[in-house]
Amino acid sequence: MDIEKYRKMFLSEAAEHLQNMADQLIVVEADPEDRAGIDALFREAHSIKGMAATMSFDATARLAHHLEDRLSDCRDQGCVSGELIDRLLAGVDLLEDLLEDIRDQQPERDVDAFIDAKQPIPELEEVVVVEEEPIAAEPVKESLLVRLLLADTITTPGPRLLVLLKHLSRFGKILQSTPSEEQIIQGEVTRQLQVRLVTEVSAEEILQQLQSYGELAEVVFPAEEPVAEKMRKQSSSSSATVRVDTDLLDRFINLTGELITNRYTLQSAAGEKSWSEVNEGLGQLARLVKDLHHQVLKVRMMPLQSVTGRLPRAVRELCQSSGKEVKLEVEGATIELDRAILEELTDPLTHMLRNAIDHGIEEQGRVQIKAWRERDQVLIQVADDGRGIDPEQVRQRAVERDLINSTQAQAMRDYDVLQLICQPGFSTAEQVTETSGRGVGMDVVKTAVEKLGGVLLIDSTLGEGARITMKLPLSVAIIRVLLIDCAGSLLGMPITRVLQTVEVAPEEVQTSGKQLVISLHGELVPLLSLRKILQQSKGSPKNPIALVITEIFGRKVGLVVDRLLGQQEVFVQALPSPFDRLKGTNGGAILGDGRIMFLLDLQSKLEKRRAKGT
Amino acid sequence: MKQVLIVDDALFMRNLLRDIFEANGWEVVAEAENGLQALERFVTYRPDLVTMDIVMPEMGGIDALKRILEDYPQSKIVMCSALGQESMVMEAINAGAIDFIVKPFQEKQVLEVVGRACGG
Repeated sequence: MDIEKYRKMFLSEAAEHLQNMADQLIVVEADPEDRAGIDALFREAHSIKGMAATMSFDATARLAHHLEDRLSDCRDQGCVSGELIDRLLAGVDLLEDLLEDIRDQQPERDVDAFIDAKQPIPELEEVVVVEEEPIAAEPVKESLLVRLLLADTITTPGPRLLVLLKHLSRFGKILQSTPSEEQIIQGEVTRQLQVRLVTEVSAEEILQQLQSYGELAEVVFPAEEPVAEKMRKQSSSSSATVRVDTDLLDRFINLTGELITNRYTLQSAAGEKSWSEVNEGLGQLARLVKDLHHQVLKVRMMPLQSVTGRLPRAVRELCQSSGKEVKLEVEGATIELDRAILEELTDPLTHMLRNAIDHGIEEQGRVQIKAWRERDQVLIQVADDGRGIDPEQVRQRAVERDLINSTQAQAMRDYDVLQLICQPGFSTAEQVTETSGRGVGMDVVKTAVEKLGGVLLIDSTLGEGARITMKLPLSVAIIRVLLIDCAGSLLGMPITRVLQTVEVAPEEVQTSGKQLVISLHGELVPLLSLRKILQQSKGSPKNPIALVITEIFGRKVGLVVDRLLGQQEVFVQALPSPFDRLKGTNGGAILGDGRIMFLLDLQSKLEKRRAKGT
Repeated sequence: MKQVLIVDDALFMRNLLRDIFEANGWEVVAEAENGLQALERFVTYRPDLVTMDIVMPEMGGIDALKRILEDYPQSKIVMCSALGQESMVMEAINAGAIDFIVKPFQEKQVLEVVGRACGG
């Protein structure tokens, strides 16, 4: 077997089985006599063993077999002990490590120590599994796949395919057809028809009837893939393979077909210099491209479940180590986000969860993770019913740490004070278990969220708990930006980072110490010159002065720019090396008129200066 | 013996089909030159099969097909089409035509289609 070819497939599927095992173990722990649960666990282990053995990943197969044996004992006894759950979880972890080895093309790590640790199994010596028969797929609803190919001599494929489709529909119910009936009628030229049919009629009988069609060159009943049912589920592994719903692929084909037609329409319209037709064609093209864009984004979308699925496990461990009793509730896990965003969410979410349990909840309580859509943003909130965050303590700590001075501390609203826990340096490792050590690592969380073009908001009612909300864009690739002109350069700032844009007269600018400020709704906001940050020459004074109000390192600032040029949706691409090392930008986009826009990333630009300053 | 009604506005086509049918054990019970005649003769003769041209004066083949199927939904009607009439053929199939044959007719093709239509 060509191992290389199957390695990725194996990794992604095995990771899925492992995730299922981990989830199921938590379920079974709550109800140790859950027979169906134990059976499911056994099947997962069995699947992994079979796959690994087929791929000759011996250590993985041996360990999976070991777990399968333990589970088999449980099946006999009808229950799983808590001790065994721990061991099985440890086994799952070790399997995850093994997959990591396989992914990195390293030799598999040792599993014998684990297997021998408790209850060595006598038959272990003989266990080198090779003869795995494929695991019987669970009886899915009986459906039959039929593929028909027309003979080359057929001059009217469309009507012929339609007759065949009608004929097949007499056998039962057609679940799916490629091309679809509409596509055939619309004249999409193809000589092949693939139909998924729910029918009582046997394949032999269908074949026999279809043999009366001399127009057919081929009738095939392709083998079904047993994994079809699982297509929609996605593993949370970072492997680069994506499983895509075949419906979606069909839609791509359709769109491509329509684009080709459109191309000819435009070509002939241009040839005839018929501008009204050219315009019509362009309108059509715009619709098609928009549709295509929409579908492509869909391919990148995955449910939040792929991240939250791991959290029950984390909660369990945190409960064990802290001796607290915490119930986790997840709501909205089906909400879909761009996979690039999801991949970056695991750490921040785990971190927020840990903070909630370590510092929020006292003895027992509840952590709620809720996700919902608001226009083109996804909001994910981690809420606990613990003691909450005390703004007074935060004020005190922020002053101690020189993040703000005492005058500022008194002037700030409680809500704004709470946001300070995300400031780097607000709390350090020493205070991890301290009561107000709530902000441990929150700066890391905030940075991660902002990198994705999102915003992090802290809210809390003392004594009732804390709510930490991430506002995230649905997709990273295409974002809405505010276009900014600065010293002749075209720059963009993700709209999610823009709090407000204002134009002020020069007289409105005040000074506070050496700092230029403006008063915005009664709040003093320091001004920063974008030209200065980007080391450009000083521009001529403007009237009015255009300002972008944004947050840098958790503080509201007014960014002085040359001109505001409006909003636009852009497709952001990473900059190639060596430009990716440029500070101050983290991507670029080509606008419709061919101009290049750089995406502003002020934090990276200011980080160094800040490090020197503090 | 299976009975067939041939509908076509061209005498040449009707004769050609008649020859094919009669040489292969079919009985041509009637002929019609347009859709209206077709309706009338269908009701009179109730044939096992109709071959229906698409473009005809008075009433076209697709309308005639729809009218016949309205009253006799089990009727087996095979459309006769020329190249370039694909979309009309598909309209007819969607409306209930059981199959179609393409001009210029080849005996083998005609027999295969009508045999399938009446056999299955």
